[in-house]
Amino acid sequence: MRYGTLTFILLTTLYSCGQTQEKKADYPLQIGDIYFNSKVDDPNFKLCNEDRVFQYFNFGKGLLYKGEKVKINEHFRDRLKNKEIKDESGFLTIRFIVNCEGKTGRYRIQGMDNNYKEKAFNENLASQLLNLTKELDGWKVGEYEGKTYDYYQYLTFKIENGKLIEIMP
Amino acid sequence: MKRILFILPLILPSIIYSQPNCNVYKMNNDEPCYNACVLAIEAERYQWAREAQMKFDEAVQLCPKLDYAYMEKSVPYLKSGNFIEWKRLIDKAVDINPLGRLGYRGWCRFQFIRDYEGAIKDFETLDSLTRFDIGYSQNGDYQLNIAKALCYKAIGQKSKAVKIIENQLAQKGYTPMTYDYLHLGVLKMETGDTDGGIEYLKKSISFNDYLAEPYYYLGLIYKKKNLTKEFKENMEKAKIYYLKGYKRFDPYTHPMDKVYLADIESELKSGE
Repeated sequence: MRYGTLTFILLTTLYSCGQTQEKKADYPLQIGDIYFNSKVDDPNFKLCNEDRVFQYFNFGKGLLYKGEKVKINEHFRDRLKNKEIKDESGFLTIRFIVNCEGKTGRYRIQGMDNNYKEKAFNENLASQLLNLTKELDGWKVGEYEGKTYDYYQYLTFKIENGKLIEIMP
Repeated sequence: MKRILFILPLILPSIIYSQPNCNVYKMNNDEPCYNACVLAIEAERYQWAREAQMKFDEAVQLCPKLDYAYMEKSVPYLKSGNFIEWKRLIDKAVDINPLGRLGYRGWCRFQFIRDYEGAIKDFETLDSLTRFDIGYSQNGDYQLNIAKALCYKAIGQKSKAVKIIENQLAQKGYTPMTYDYLHLGVLKMETGDTDGGIEYLKKSISFNDYLAEPYYYLGLIYKKKNLTKEFKENMEKAKIYYLKGYKRFDPYTHPMDKVYLADIESELKSGE
């Protein structure tokens, strides 16, 4: 009986390992949705329509920033103090919402190493990038057929040995 | 046979990136994969939604070899900047169908993540798997060898990038794409071959005169050659074109060698 139970456990374990089963994820309503979290989000940051937040590219105009992407590049290159941060490489993504008034909030951070695995970045560097992202004040509102909409935006920082190499998208 | 060999490279990208023909599974009496295929195609229409993601999951449970479902499931993660989850999913598609998905993964690594080394690896692995053309970028702008050359440029191997583009342009039967000459002209300029730069930037204009970029880079070359009149003429034209909306544009990302209005204006100011 004991052997029977053991065989059953082994077989079920092996069987489940062999399955190409996708994880039973708890998906948000739309992939990438950022819901309000009272612990980290500013309650004064309001959306026009909580149920209809677009992606930045849905408006067909690329990045919606006054002065275009060069302004964003300049902002970070002029202000980031990363001289003391060495041996730090990978990608740090900050995602947030630009509301229908052009204000930003609900920031979320994801760090990734060069092998696409989750990574905790140096706290100093991560907080500097987050604060500098929050300082960006040139976001244009998302407009379509005369109406304004909230939208998701992200910035990904490519870091090599502590140096900011590129900003995406 | 010769005709097939000629036609196949031309139609390969559309075969690779188009929706699968579910009837193939039906013809082979593979009911689970047929159902999974139909499910995945339906889910693709609203792939950002929870319901779609669940349908993709159902599809790969029914038919674990359905790489199309993994690829389509991965798309919203890529476009929303969640590259960790995107890579986890697209790797599954590549594992199942390397010939069909490596080019796509490599292109996305270049376009969205600027993971140049990773993209080169994918393009070169794909090249080693086929004796045919390795295909085109998802947005249709580039033959993938040109995209590979741009990756080499980005990691500082500019001479190698020049050689790859020249080699691709010399391929029998290859029709240059919209930005090939622009990139080659810029590379020539950056590697010190200003005459070569002028030649290819002018070729870019002859090929497609709806871009500010070749005028901007021609302006830079003329500036270096102290040809003030030509510098100003080209920079001013670059500005006019830019303001008309004749410029490099991608709704998702910023293409390599794209110029911005601030760059053009700063050059014009420097020449005053």
